[in-house]
Amino acid sequence: MNENTDIIIVEQLTKKFGNFTAVDHISFRVHRGEIFGFLGANGAGKTTAMKILCGLSLPTSGGGTVNGYDLCREQEKIKRHIGYMSQKFSLYADLKVWENIRLFGGIYGLSGKRIRQKSDEMLRYLNMTDLRDELVGDLPLGWKQKLAFSIALIHEPAIVFLDEPTGGVDPETRRLFWDLICETAEAGTTIFVTTHYMDEAEYCDRVSIMVDGVIADLDTPAALKQRHQAADMDAVFRKLAYQAKRE
Amino acid sequence: MVLLYLLEKEFKQFFRDPGLPKMAIAFPVLMMLVFPFAVSMEIRNVDLVVVDSNRSVASSKLVESCTASGYFNLVEVCDDPARAMQLMDRNKADAILTIESDFDRCLERGEALPVGVKVNTINGTKGSIGAGYLTSCIQRYYAENAPTQPTTAAAGPQLDVSSKYYFNTYLDYKKFMVPALIVIAITMLTGFFPALNIVSEKERGTIEQINVTPVNRGAFILCKLIPYWLVAFFVLTACLLIARWVFGYTCAGSVGLMYFFTAGNILVTAGMGLLISNYSDNAQQAMFVTWFFMMVFMLVSGIFTPIASMPGWAQAITYLNPMRYYADAMRGIYIKGSSLADVWTDAAGLLTIGAAMVSWAILSYKKTN
Repeated sequence: MNENTDIIIVEQLTKKFGNFTAVDHISFRVHRGEIFGFLGANGAGKTTAMKILCGLSLPTSGGGTVNGYDLCREQEKIKRHIGYMSQKFSLYADLKVWENIRLFGGIYGLSGKRIRQKSDEMLRYLNMTDLRDELVGDLPLGWKQKLAFSIALIHEPAIVFLDEPTGGVDPETRRLFWDLICETAEAGTTIFVTTHYMDEAEYCDRVSIMVDGVIADLDTPAALKQRHQAADMDAVFRKLAYQAKRE
Repeated sequence: MVLLYLLEKEFKQFFRDPGLPKMAIAFPVLMMLVFPFAVSMEIRNVDLVVVDSNRSVASSKLVESCTASGYFNLVEVCDDPARAMQLMDRNKADAILTIESDFDRCLERGEALPVGVKVNTINGTKGSIGAGYLTSCIQRYYAENAPTQPTTAAAGPQLDVSSKYYFNTYLDYKKFMVPALIVIAITMLTGFFPALNIVSEKERGTIEQINVTPVNRGAFILCKLIPYWLVAFFVLTACLLIARWVFGYTCAGSVGLMYFFTAGNILVTAGMGLLISNYSDNAQQAMFVTWFFMMVFMLVSGIFTPIASMPGWAQAITYLNPMRYYADAMRGIYIKGSSLADVWTDAAGLLTIGAAMVSWAILSYKKTN
């Protein structure tokens, strides 16, 4: 029960939609500063669980804390300290690159001066300085994802949630994107990431695999491979995910 | 201030949209230039068939005096009543004037004229007004052509009623419709735009990105309202200028008061648009529901038909209709020059409904569900 070492503490978290239990009494912890991979087949309950952690959805029962704030009562406080980037690309396509940065900086309460400073830094870091006046809708997907990730970090959150951040991008961009994630983690930000690419799971410090709304296993990639006698994470995932009973 | 950043975003998005700014300009202009002529309720061009069995100088003078009034199109003069009926059945005639064979003799003797009027009342208003025109034409003709003292009129005292029309002295229907068209233009634009705005954020997924930030939901909704306030003021200004330059009408009352009521009306329409979009998942749904309410509001607003002639229960419903208050106030101010003291009930009704709509819109917008 140490909130200094664990940024996410979840106990018996459950979400039901009518008769369907999307998330079934899950409990786990995420340590500060780690890259936590949150895996599972489509429909296993990953996105639902992640939405609860981000304060977008209320649990049916159970609860927990994110950065010390209660999941059931302090969603708006949680939102101040997290970043979020969803699988559905979610910057404003009809705003320019600098305007998107300015908008989200403003929403998180950064001063005008700080926003200008931040956007210069960010664009230089992403090699996008020449693109600052482009409409975001005109950028290639890989650039959009990188920009969305950086904007999710604009207020220097303690933890950033990435919901399938690399869906639909080419392998090279995917690798560059993970460089970005690793650098961010080294700088001290906790990363909570869902993905369907098992090679990406290897980059995570610890990985949990959800099957049918419960966490089937949770450990470091090395320990998981050993326990399930598998050569790589792909094999681990297949072994666990094929136990699934529900469609 | 978060508010300023959000406002900046809304304005940029509005002006960058390929359609919205053009629509905001084209819509009021079309409304004001086309509709005052098209939606006229004055009855003209009543198709008239005459069955003249008399064929005298007197009877053709009667026909002439009817057509000279300008309200009738003379389709045909025939002898056979069956032929006239046939024309009416085929929708070629709105009214049939039958002149009997002893018409000229009766006229000379000052007896009641043997004429008959048949009217097609599929469109009741057109029918009854057409019949009224026709009878008054015949009466005028009788008064001018009958021998000096008609014997039948000897009984009873003569009443001479003179009417004086106030406010819209010439009963100009266009002048009556101009403020109503302003009401329609503003209500339509400011009802649809905000509804589509939030739904499109839902469809694109950007609303999720907003919901995961600590932004205040009241500020978010308010920033969606403010641009439409300006759109509405722009539309009102454009309409007033067109009314002045094209039709030569001016507002009899305070123009400022018209802006005040328009501001109040935005609370209602934009609030409602946002409310509907909160409950809709896609644009079609939002469009359809908004359209439904707009239709109902318009039909029972008193814009086209007077509320006073509706049945009691329908009149009761109109009190829930924000457009009733807005239309009543705008017409009152524009045509009669009503002051706030005259239309304060309208203001109260409009603002109450508006406050309810906006509060509901904010409360039903949930960042966490």
